[in-house]
Amino acid sequence: MEREHWIQNVMSSTNGITPVKPSDTLLSKIQQKINQQNKVSPKTVWLAAASIAVLIVLNITVLKTKDKTKIETTTAYQEMTGNQSNQLY
Amino acid sequence: MINQTHFEKLYQEYRVLVFNVALNYLQNLEDAEEITQDVFVKVYHSLENFNQKSSFKTWIYRITINQCLDFVKKKNSQKRFFIFGKKSQNEQEYLNTATFEHPGILMEKQEEAKILFEVINTLTENQKTAFLLSKLDGLSNPEIAEIMQLSVSSIESLIFRAKTALQEKLAEKFKNYRKK
Repeated sequence: MEREHWIQNVMSSTNGITPVKPSDTLLSKIQQKINQQNKVSPKTVWLAAASIAVLIVLNITVLKTKDKTKIETTTAYQEMTGNQSNQLY
Repeated sequence: MINQTHFEKLYQEYRVLVFNVALNYLQNLEDAEEITQDVFVKVYHSLENFNQKSSFKTWIYRITINQCLDFVKKKNSQKRFFIFGKKSQNEQEYLNTATFEHPGILMEKQEEAKILFEVINTLTENQKTAFLLSKLDGLSNPEIAEIMQLSVSSIESLIFRAKTALQEKLAEKFKNYRKK
């Protein structure tokens, strides 16, 4: 009985809870945060875009060079092995 | 970009709601203020994309709860990183209610409320959200269902299970209370 009464007391302890108001300076803090996020200059955006473009060009160049080397190596290998296989006698 | 006056009007209308949901969830005034800031910054940036499928109030509730959940997860992972510990099953490790006194609760009920919040923090995420929205915000089950994007019967079940779990945990606590 005592236990049930105590549990009931704890469960109902939030009855009649009143809403708490946030501090008055909160709106100005929010506006400050918004302004900070809005302040990404076009110069920064262009700089980031240019960096990405340079990276892409570099990657393509490296890939193309790799492919070319691979083709050259394959041809040389085929020439070598081709000569050996032609020795029929 | 949204109109500044419109944003301020929204802020005045929903600031208490957002702050109190965060306060009930995190039981810390500074953290609740931080969440309120983050919620309104998010609202400012995504208001143009708000598709009005749900009401604005539902939308703002959803953002607030998600921000609170992310905040708790972030705090827990930071704590784990420093102590190199294991992942816990609930939010208990971050949420420390032992010293928190809810400013909206009557002075004579503070001790019992502390115990209640301590036990609420051991519930699962969904049980805790449904219980807090029902008990402290006084929302109806269909309203909670819309916010949590679940069926009304799921909400009924979540609240029922939350109440049962709370009563069981409080019964355990009663043993210690009696020993004192």
